[in-house]
Amino acid sequence: MPLEAFADSRALTLGVELELQIVNTHDYDLTHASHDLLRLVSRHKLPGEVKPEMTDSMIELSTGICGDYADALAQLGEIRDALVECAGKLNVGLSGGGTHPFQDWSQRRIYEAPRFHMLSELYGYLSKQFTIFGQHVHVGCPGPDAALVLLHGLSRFIPHFIALSASSPFVQGTDTGFHSARLNSVFAFPLSGRAPFSLTWDEFSRFFDKMTRTGVVESMKDFYWDIRPKPEFGTIEVRVLDTPLTIEKAAALAAYIQCVARWLSFEQPFRPAEDDYLVYTFNRFQACRFGFDGTFVDPQTGEHRTIGDDILQTLDAIEHHSIELGADEGCRQIRDDVKARGNDATWIRQTYADEHLLAEVVRQQCLRWSR
Amino acid sequence: MSGDPRADFFFLPAWPPTGNAVLWVSLTIVLAGLLGELAFRRFRLPRVVGYAAVGTIVSAFGLGIAGTRINPSLRLIVDLALALLLFEMGCRINLRWLRTNPWLLATSLIESALTFVLVLLTLSWLGVEWRLSLAAAAIAIATSPAVVMRVASEFNASGQVTERLILLTGLNTFYAVLASKIVFGWLHAEYSGSWTITLAHPLYLLAGSAIVAALLAFAVSQLARKLDLRNENSTLLLLGMILLALSVTKMANLSTLLVPLLAGLILRNSTERPWIWPRHFGTAGGVLVLMLFVITGSVWSVEAMAVGAMLGLALIVARGVAKLATTVALSGPSGISTRQGLALGVAMTPISGAALVMMADLQQLYPEFAAGLTGVMFSAIAVLELIGPIAVHLALRKARESNIP
Repeated sequence: MPLEAFADSRALTLGVELELQIVNTHDYDLTHASHDLLRLVSRHKLPGEVKPEMTDSMIELSTGICGDYADALAQLGEIRDALVECAGKLNVGLSGGGTHPFQDWSQRRIYEAPRFHMLSELYGYLSKQFTIFGQHVHVGCPGPDAALVLLHGLSRFIPHFIALSASSPFVQGTDTGFHSARLNSVFAFPLSGRAPFSLTWDEFSRFFDKMTRTGVVESMKDFYWDIRPKPEFGTIEVRVLDTPLTIEKAAALAAYIQCVARWLSFEQPFRPAEDDYLVYTFNRFQACRFGFDGTFVDPQTGEHRTIGDDILQTLDAIEHHSIELGADEGCRQIRDDVKARGNDATWIRQTYADEHLLAEVVRQQCLRWSR
Repeated sequence: MSGDPRADFFFLPAWPPTGNAVLWVSLTIVLAGLLGELAFRRFRLPRVVGYAAVGTIVSAFGLGIAGTRINPSLRLIVDLALALLLFEMGCRINLRWLRTNPWLLATSLIESALTFVLVLLTLSWLGVEWRLSLAAAAIAIATSPAVVMRVASEFNASGQVTERLILLTGLNTFYAVLASKIVFGWLHAEYSGSWTITLAHPLYLLAGSAIVAALLAFAVSQLARKLDLRNENSTLLLLGMILLALSVTKMANLSTLLVPLLAGLILRNSTERPWIWPRHFGTAGGVLVLMLFVITGSVWSVEAMAVGAMLGLALIVARGVAKLATTVALSGPSGISTRQGLALGVAMTPISGAALVMMADLQQLYPEFAAGLTGVMFSAIAVLELIGPIAVHLALRKARESNIP
């Protein structure tokens, strides 16, 4: 199958997808309820979509095309409210967070759909372990070449997105020491990591053709890259974020990505280069492991600073763009997080330290999500 | 030197050897355990079917309960095991759910009322004296909490059918206890002419059970504040507290069904914080549950069957129709598919544990009256003891909620 043509989209528009946990309200473990939720929510008219995910304990919501931060927040709020109402009817809880802190992956069940069963056949236990929850942000691009330039430009900021959204410190009942342990599960997939370095769509198409000829991939869906082009939408898709605990943070993260993208497109503060990727996995690891305190190595200068400091510097640089885009409220929240509050992983750890019971932590996560 | 040569070998046991209670209990546990594993591994059935089968076999040799009074030590085992399962069940029932989904409350009330009416009409129509029909109808409201909790946990079931099954079972057990006490009280008034008793008995039962339940719930919540209930030693303490509450319940002549159920309910609904402990309170609870199923499985005799089998079957059918019709009719508005409604109705088939206790209470209070009922009720209990767990298991599997395929 050849690569699809890159669709038209308005530059810098946004689309947000969130994968959510469905838990019972007894011991707050994951429960099988996605069929029931989908059936109930289909009676509502919503701005975006609600779709099944790999296992019966997950659900994915997505907004329609959003113009700005306020639009994204409003759409997310509307879908969230409908979902929370349906969940109440079923006595299940909905929660953000990149991992469920104590679920047993072997208890998960693959959702009844051919694609999910095919993936399960291919990846074996990895597919059940893939019961992890992420946020994806689509950014509209004026054309395919611009999309690839933006993709490689944004790669420098991947540690920011990871540290800001991280909400998966616990896996199978244990504190992993990571802020985002979710990304370690993604890394197990053979086609994960970074996209190959090509700045033109022609070059990228050649790479894609070579890959399909090997029989390893059939479509763009088979790539689990941190950022990947989405030709049918005319967007690039940032996929490294954990699902945050609130829709407010999800909207703020989308706004921050939008502002960085505008800054990169308009001011071109640097030209992406293959050598930028020399420090990519190091920076990425530091963000997953240490959050804002992780070390960030500047790919251009080789300078070392904390990821938090680099986010604050970036916020200064994009300030003017955030005002233009009406995203200043979202960026203010990002700044507050870096300066004082910490990310959602910090909140989860703190709550666990207070309550000593992971089920209670999940219950409070559900409360934060439904508010 | 005495005449009996064996007297010199005083250390040898008497001949023939005499068994004691421990021997019989341990033999039962071993046999039930083996049959349970056979049922599970060979036929993919719930283990409790194997346990109940042991009871059925025991009864076939004429050693069962068979309509006579339940032996106090057996009654104690039944009460203990049921208390554990009812307490566990109460802890899973979120009353706020009834507020966010009022159709569930409607399902519960209609399902119970319809069961009562249909069983009453069916038995009366078949010529059973109306007072006996009334008592049987009240008992028939209940679904067996023991079977439901046991099978759901054995197959690690989770999902809408499981959750609703637990909710509806908890509620209809509650209604059945109240209804049966009101009916018995009324019958008592018929006999004694005192109408104050009719109201006073259920009121005393409800208020008294609620007080003991609240005390138990408070004690457990205090304990949980200090200790981790997931720890085996704390679980043991919890078990002890439930036993203590049960003995108080018995001393005060309160309901051994209501106290643990209400205690769980109060505990669950007085705080949002989740309560977590091992299922059935670990191994000790597991042995009690096994014994419970053996005992309820032994509640039949050839004579009782001869008298009551047809009526028992009629009761089973009428009851099944009432429960199934309600859950299917209200599946849509309450937010599940018709298929799930069907599974839910089928899963509500079991009756044994709670019905046995209600019958035993009736026997204690009005032995002559109860005697007229044993044929019907014990036949129904005996049949559903074997079919009930299979129905629950089948329903949960069809609803894709059993985690063991």
